[in-house]
Amino acid sequence: MGDLIHLILSGTATGAIYALAALGFTLLWQAAGVINFAQGEFVMLPAFAMLFFIAVGAPLWLSFLLTCAVAMVVLGYGFKRVIVDPLIKHGVIPLVIATLGLSIAVKSIVRAGYSAEAHPFPSAFPAGQLSLGGIAVSYADIGTLVLAGLIVIGLQMFLNKTVTGRAMQAVAQNTDAARVLGIDVKRMVLYVFLINAVLSVVAALLVTPTYLAKFDMGDSIGQKAFFAAIIGGFNQTRGALLGGVLIGILENVVGFYVSPAYKEGVALVLFLAVILFRPEGLLGKAEERKV
Amino acid sequence: MTPFLEVKDVRKAYGAIKAVDGVSFDVGPGEIVGVIGPNGSGKTTLFNSILGQIAPTSGHVEFCGEDITGMSPLELSRRGVGRTFQTLQVFVKLSVRDNLIAAAQEFKGTLGGRLFAKPDAGLGDHADQMIELFRLKHVAHLPAGSLSYGQQKLIDIAMAFMAAPRLVLLDEPCAGVNPSLVDQLHDRLVELNKTQGGSFVVIEHNMDFIMKLCPHVICMVEGKVLAEGPPAQVQGNRAVLEAYLGN
Repeated sequence: MGDLIHLILSGTATGAIYALAALGFTLLWQAAGVINFAQGEFVMLPAFAMLFFIAVGAPLWLSFLLTCAVAMVVLGYGFKRVIVDPLIKHGVIPLVIATLGLSIAVKSIVRAGYSAEAHPFPSAFPAGQLSLGGIAVSYADIGTLVLAGLIVIGLQMFLNKTVTGRAMQAVAQNTDAARVLGIDVKRMVLYVFLINAVLSVVAALLVTPTYLAKFDMGDSIGQKAFFAAIIGGFNQTRGALLGGVLIGILENVVGFYVSPAYKEGVALVLFLAVILFRPEGLLGKAEERKV
Repeated sequence: MTPFLEVKDVRKAYGAIKAVDGVSFDVGPGEIVGVIGPNGSGKTTLFNSILGQIAPTSGHVEFCGEDITGMSPLELSRRGVGRTFQTLQVFVKLSVRDNLIAAAQEFKGTLGGRLFAKPDAGLGDHADQMIELFRLKHVAHLPAGSLSYGQQKLIDIAMAFMAAPRLVLLDEPCAGVNPSLVDQLHDRLVELNKTQGGSFVVIEHNMDFIMKLCPHVICMVEGKVLAEGPPAQVQGNRAVLEAYLGN
């Protein structure tokens, strides 16, 4: 029983990181109709950016803040202006192809231009474990859970309790009506891209100590974030959280009780099951779309 | 009376098809104008051309003396021009009250101020008044998407009036609304016209509703204005009857 609780706790921490990236997926889809298949690389790039700032002498917290600022400009504003804005009017498919291409290009540039090696990354939390009623939980897992939890709660409060958050929801739910009612749709969509960029940096901060900074580190997290978003429901931010945590926990449980060899396949199996039996996702709602 | 809205020879063609073919009319301050016509007569295309949803092929639209032809819905909204659509345009996951607040919040304060504004943006009382006016108090806290079509239609219309626009274009407000709500809708629009003082242009197929609500009616057929004038005059026009009933 102790093992299971430990697995659930550490799985929830890992799942919380998937959830952060998945949250970005769902926000971009809801507000802008964008599916970003370079989401994994949006986590990888900040990891290297933070390593760069650390290498020039900045402490981790300052590196994180500087990377947030850079990511908002490059992965938020730049991504929207250079790739999304010119292609969005042609529909989803060109954007999917473009982000797949971006993913390959970014990985290749980092591998060829910087390094193909895995680079260690400092943890934001102290080493060691805390014993809770006989169950050992690492400080890293606790810190990850707390930080991811705070980010998620903060984001939910922003979306539900502020004027700007409500405007962003309005844009996500009905863009035409929002525009006619005077809501600046372009600005709200930009905010979503900026939030996605910051979520990516936080995910990078939390996941890189385990994954190590490497050009292809985004493959796994990007894929799992996408699966998490689909499993939970692409049109529900809460669904992304559920999907991420579910994958994290099941990966741990399957890896421990069945075989570590099957761990990586858990997200895919869950994804296929949801697509077959509940395509709108566990918390999602079926939507009508005009074609 | 100085025209408030001037539609001057507006045309919209899709290839050889003339959806709107040289339509001109004026709307005065506080005036309610009805637009009728059989399906496919170009009424909604005319609305979309006036409101920047589509660019007219030619012609001009002036609002309070300013040329607003081709302006975006956002720019028009900032000038006090609102609209409703044939189909429901509520925010289904937001509560009724939040729908109403969302409909007017962008007109309050500055960009920076709105980031730190109170959750109701200072519009809570106004939203409650509108909820009272449209008899939606018992469902005010519920997500709009969970309500009946007729109730959502009332929310949709209430939202268009939240920012006290100077001109509202209503596209088939009675469509899909049960007869008991149609009477209620008529009374609410009359009340809003008196209290807010705005001008309305209303497209509608419900003849009783439009003849009762609008002192001036325009009948469109095949993209052109076939007849206009007081309701009784338009209703008695032989060409209008033929357009509706056929030869």
